[in-house]
Amino acid sequence: MASVATTDIVAYMENYIMKNCLWQFHSRAWDRLRQNEKIIGITSQLLCGEEVDLSTPEQKCYWIDSVILAENYKKNVPALADMSVEEIKDVMTQLKDRIDYLTVNGSLNLELTDKHY
Amino acid sequence: MPYHLFKCSECIPEREKHAVIKGPGEDLTSALPLGYLNTIPGSISERGCAYCGAKHVIGTPMKDVIHISHGPVGCTYDTWQTKRYISDNDNFQLKYTFATDMKEKHIVFGAEAILRKNIREAFEAFPNIKRMTIYQTCASALIGDDIDAVANEYMEEHPDVDIFVCNSPGFRGPSQSGGHHTINIAWMNQKVGTVEPEITSDYVINYVGEYNIQGDQEVMQDYFKRMGIQILSTFTGNGSYDGLRAMHRAHLNVLECARSAEYICNELRARYNIPRLDIDGFGFEPLGNSLRKVGMFFGIEDRAQEIIDTETARWRPELDWYAARLKGKKVCLWPGGSKLWHWAHVIHEEMGVEVVSVYTKFGHQGDMEKGISRCEEGALAIDDPNELEGLEAMEMLQPDVIFTGKRPGEVAKKIRVPYLNAHAYHNGPWKGFEGWVRFARDIYDAIYSPVHQLSKLDISKDEIPGNAGFVTKQMLSDADLSDEIRNDPNLREYTGKYSIIEDLQAKTYPEFPRSCHEVAV
Repeated sequence: MASVATTDIVAYMENYIMKNCLWQFHSRAWDRLRQNEKIIGITSQLLCGEEVDLSTPEQKCYWIDSVILAENYKKNVPALADMSVEEIKDVMTQLKDRIDYLTVNGSLNLELTDKHY
Repeated sequence: MPYHLFKCSECIPEREKHAVIKGPGEDLTSALPLGYLNTIPGSISERGCAYCGAKHVIGTPMKDVIHISHGPVGCTYDTWQTKRYISDNDNFQLKYTFATDMKEKHIVFGAEAILRKNIREAFEAFPNIKRMTIYQTCASALIGDDIDAVANEYMEEHPDVDIFVCNSPGFRGPSQSGGHHTINIAWMNQKVGTVEPEITSDYVINYVGEYNIQGDQEVMQDYFKRMGIQILSTFTGNGSYDGLRAMHRAHLNVLECARSAEYICNELRARYNIPRLDIDGFGFEPLGNSLRKVGMFFGIEDRAQEIIDTETARWRPELDWYAARLKGKKVCLWPGGSKLWHWAHVIHEEMGVEVVSVYTKFGHQGDMEKGISRCEEGALAIDDPNELEGLEAMEMLQPDVIFTGKRPGEVAKKIRVPYLNAHAYHNGPWKGFEGWVRFARDIYDAIYSPVHQLSKLDISKDEIPGNAGFVTKQMLSDADLSDEIRNDPNLREYTGKYSIIEDLQAKTYPEFPRSCHEVAV
């Protein structure tokens, strides 16, 4: 995959999440990092055809948001079909880093570090 | 940082960091106003207080309860005329509002006696009601009345009575949002886990952050019932007091308004291991995805899909009729909190309008993050605006319509900008598939009202078109439409009833076989 195309793919994926999803905006930094890791991680597993752990109700909730995400990506990013597992994982790692940056590391939200909810 | 200082606020320079314009290529790391801070002195805020947030937003929609304010009678003005959180028990909580009517003498000599008297009189006036919530106000908080002691004393004397006390006086936080937080945690600490419910389904949810504005909850309840899901409690619109005491037995918390109710979901997750699933009940696609998500959690996605297919086929042609006529219209999306992000993207996508500004009266920065990321470039985002800023923004942006509360809405009318009531709706419910069409219909009616067009004329200077003849909304809206759209046989105006709630309340539902029976412990 050319790096430009990868950048475009990540940009599309980021835009979809920021426009359509709510899970990345939980109220605290630790909460957001957990959401991002779980949901993007499971989405990556789904896109790579890997088995997903659904052993707890909480895992199931992460999986549900991941299914919605993976469906959209499969439909609107046809390039994914031609990518290897390593390439998909690389894209998803970049996506997670970007979402972490937008919602936590680069965020201007002063409440993220409040120790209470 | 693309901060925006209104000309009218140049004398309050701190206001600059409370407004941003989302420029090209900017994201949340460069465009986010401050939020959830004390209102800056000199700025005449449109916010409500923490008491209002606790009582009038969250507490009072509970339907089978005497809600009483321990304070001056003015604190409890919000009732039938200003709130529209209806219920299926003849709107008891809206029809009757209670206050202890504290006066100066009570401030000096204490008001516990008058509270005791009011509790007794209220229960005597409504002998079938056995549940009460009492709300502290600034006045009773400042004099230190022990409301809990009075309530406990009454409950000891009347074992069939249960009372919830909420200590959220007006000054307890920058805005009503402080009250949302307080009542969430107070309810969790005092009441959740004190009733064991009857479980009637394999699939049991709490529906959280839903206030049944003009019947929203009943629309969503219909979908859940059609899926065979038991709503153990709704926090709090059309919700029952005892249902909400049993929240700990749900399998899933389905969260609609995270601004007002994420706290109780987070606590239920931490204390009872009940997961939280955030949903969007507005707009065809977000609602469809939301129903699917709930269905997926329980392994009954097919039931959700059936509802989505049926409802979309029924209502899409009507939504599209309005979308064709609303395309490109400029909207200021100025609600209190969560609707700025519930609606920002989907009204653009599904109705074609352009969101030129978002604001929030009491939202936190987290709400602005959601709203700004969902609206398009160039949008002006304002935190805790004052009236003059609202006027200046409308002058600058020239919106076709604004969605806001009735107080700023009436201000907008004065400069000939139509408004829709974003808090209590015009002709709701607006949630659900049909509700979304009703919202589109209300936007259309607001923008194209012939009376509104006439109101733009200034009889002191404009020429009055005396020979223009009769004009209808459709004559105005269709003037520039192509023949293809105007004559499209697949599109049609709203064909639903004036009120859709009575039919829902009379509806019966199929019984789904259960795979196991849970015994409450």
